[in-house]
Amino acid sequence: MAIIQSFLDTLAQLAQESGFAGFFADGGWKNIIMILISFVFMYLAVGRGFEPLLLLPISFGMLLTNLPGADLYHPEYWEYLKVTDRYGEVNDHYIDYNRILEHGGLLDILYMGVKLQLYPPLIFLGIGAMTDFGPLIASPRSFLLGAAAQGGIFFTFVGAAILNMSAADCASIAIIGGADGPTSIFVSSKLLTKNSACSVGTIALAAYTYMALVPIIQPPIMRALTTKKERSVVMGQLRPVSRLEKLIFPVLVTLIIALMIPSAAPLVGMLMFGNLLKESGCCDRLVKTAQNELMNIITIFLGVTVGATTQADKVISLDFGKVMLLGVIAFSLGTACGILLGKLMYILTKGKINPLIGSAGVSAVPMAARISQKVGQEEVPTNYLLMHAMGPNVAGVIGSAVAAGVLLAIVK
Amino acid sequence: MSDLQFKFAQLLSSNIPPDQTDLGGETIASVVITGISVVFMGLIILILLVTLYGKIFEGINKSAEAKAKAKAEAEAAAKAKAAEAAAKEAPAPAPAPAPAPAVEDGIEEEVVAAIMGALSVMYEGSGKKPVLKGVKAAKPRRSAWSAAGIMDNTRPF
Repeated sequence: MAIIQSFLDTLAQLAQESGFAGFFADGGWKNIIMILISFVFMYLAVGRGFEPLLLLPISFGMLLTNLPGADLYHPEYWEYLKVTDRYGEVNDHYIDYNRILEHGGLLDILYMGVKLQLYPPLIFLGIGAMTDFGPLIASPRSFLLGAAAQGGIFFTFVGAAILNMSAADCASIAIIGGADGPTSIFVSSKLLTKNSACSVGTIALAAYTYMALVPIIQPPIMRALTTKKERSVVMGQLRPVSRLEKLIFPVLVTLIIALMIPSAAPLVGMLMFGNLLKESGCCDRLVKTAQNELMNIITIFLGVTVGATTQADKVISLDFGKVMLLGVIAFSLGTACGILLGKLMYILTKGKINPLIGSAGVSAVPMAARISQKVGQEEVPTNYLLMHAMGPNVAGVIGSAVAAGVLLAIVK
Repeated sequence: MSDLQFKFAQLLSSNIPPDQTDLGGETIASVVITGISVVFMGLIILILLVTLYGKIFEGINKSAEAKAKAKAEAEAAAKAKAAEAAAKEAPAPAPAPAPAPAVEDGIEEEVVAAIMGALSVMYEGSGKKPVLKGVKAAKPRRSAWSAAGIMDNTRPF
């Protein structure tokens, strides 16, 4: 009898300590909803192919962080503390990394790479190693389209500020308009605090969702803002770019941008370093590592840990709705700004530039460029705008990194 | 306006705390103006520098091309002279050199050279001597099959 009683007690204790009991604890229902939301994102990634390389790790991180009792991630460890250092200076942005290393869960340890801004620059290293800046060097005016498309970022800042959000929230939401996931994570992980309305995870979710929806969001805006005649412009062939020009480009961009906006140096510097490795032609092993293994490892770490920050109280809130709404506005405004400058360039060059390439100025490489190509081909099936659109597209990557640097320089 | 100018200058020298709400119209306006103008300034500087070195390299490439062309012409003339001299000495008539291909304006010499190279590789060992009679750009309009082929090849980008 005693054995049965002991057996039942043990079972009851196990049930109480299990994650299942956590669902019935105070606020446990929120975890269930978050797990269901993670299933929706898993479906979008696997079933619909929405940016699966990032959305799948993000959604699985979301699942892991909402399992009661698993203790993989502790949001309380990441709250800024106010401390006075040994020199008597007050630091109100102190994070106790020793505590995280000693007591943190797996995702806490991995999240250090996000909080210390390691992963986004390393992702940029891989992007740089995969990017051909040739079309941009051949047609430097593409930089203007890449710059114009960043207008969406700053105009959305206005929208978020009107909704009385904090400066950190405004900047983090606005950067979604750059259509660049790592940049959004870079800015939001640096600015958002426990008092912020959104988290790094919600910003990343919105950014990657809209990047996946580029083929749906952009074409109607492109068609609405251009005439049939403008869309039918067939652009001339780009000049060939020598290897030396491609070698000088990353060094030049790093020098100019990093000296002008030092806070953009980690992103632009690593992007250009990756590109220099590629163009050097003598570092094949490093290029392959940056393009494949390193990029893939960081993508896994980044995705799963960013997903872990999507706590129920941040997602099941009106503020998340605001993030999604302002995110799509940012994205649409960025597209519109690029197209409008494209139209201006069409007029100034007397019809030599197809304004459709302007929409590619919102990073989202190479999807945005492919959309320019697709919409252009609807008018003239033999029109190949792809390489022309790649110029503004890669300029958009540099532009959004610069815009991020500006926001980080202003809000701190 | 002077207030806005003041805010603009203030923004560059000071910062907005991340947790600050109620930013105020002037601060918001100055963030937008500062942000857009700094992004444009940075990228315009890059446009100027990239255009500048692009022009320099284009000039260098053109002069190198002109030198190579002159050299090739001189070599061809020397060869023709040698062939003429050999023809005078030898009783058997030498085969007439293939006429220069009719190349459409706008097509670079490298392209012609690449086509010639490809032809000679194809016919190597066959005993036949291919002659390139002309090179002209393909008509811009592609057939549906050709367009589909190009689409298929460029889709991964």
